Amino acid sequence: MIENQFHFEKLYHEYKTLVFNVALNYLQNIEDAEEITQDVFVKVYNSLENFNQNSSYKTWIYRITINQCLDNIKQKNSQKRFFIFGKKSQNEAEYLNITTFEHPGILIENQEEATILFAVINTLTENQKSAFLLSKLDGLSNPEIAEIMQVSISSVESLVFRAKVSLQDKLSDKFNQYRKKK
Amino acid sequence: MERNNWIETILKSTNGIKSVKPSDDLFSKIQQRIQKDNKVSSKTVWLVAASIAVLVLLNFTILITKTKERKTSSTAYFENILNKSNQLYK
Repeated sequence: MIENQFHFEKLYHEYKTLVFNVALNYLQNIEDAEEITQDVFVKVYNSLENFNQNSSYKTWIYRITINQCLDNIKQKNSQKRFFIFGKKSQNEAEYLNITTFEHPGILIENQEEATILFAVINTLTENQKSAFLLSKLDGLSNPEIAEIMQVSISSVESLVFRAKVSLQDKLSDKFNQYRKKK
Repeated sequence: MERNNWIETILKSTNGIKSVKPSDDLFSKIQQRIQKDNKVSSKTVWLVAASIAVLVLLNFTILITKTKERKTSSTAYFENILNKSNQLYK
């Protein structure tokens, strides 16, 4: 038990920043990212005894984090749909603020552009978004992403490529709005 | 040209992104949640055990009442026949 606790603490200190940043890139909200980090490590603690060494701790923790983030987004989307029919709550403002989120890790001079980019990334499909974020922001290689997402390397290549094409198309549309504003 | 430059600038805006550290009290929050979860689970175990005990007791009580009812109803039937004609055979 004590050994387990020691092992857990070691894992926490090794991967806390990784988990928090993945969650932050996915959800673009500091409070949500902290909440997800808590959920991930509670899950890690409860599953540590059953962890099979087929994959590394890093891959395993990445997988848990991404699944938690996707669940969080799904939950928020279903709440959002409910608001259309039901009474509006204070939380709705949270959803609307997502597009104006300023990532604390982005250089100050790039904040405005990054906000636009994150808003467009959010419109990608789940798999495209995961592959793109892991490749672009976490700097992972295609084989690493393939192991985390449990798909083939060629699938990752295709997902990243389609994500980039989709982003360029959507940014092209955004450029028209940007020009009108100017 | 301007469009392509703008798109390129947006796509490159995350270059040089730095890791953000979570707050220092996060670990204690996680520890609290783990302890709370463990407490809840033992509470749940007791709650389930108590529910099963109540269910068994309820079944047992119903079973006893039903058996008693059946016994009294069969004696009442014979009493009724005897009271009517005062004989067992017609």
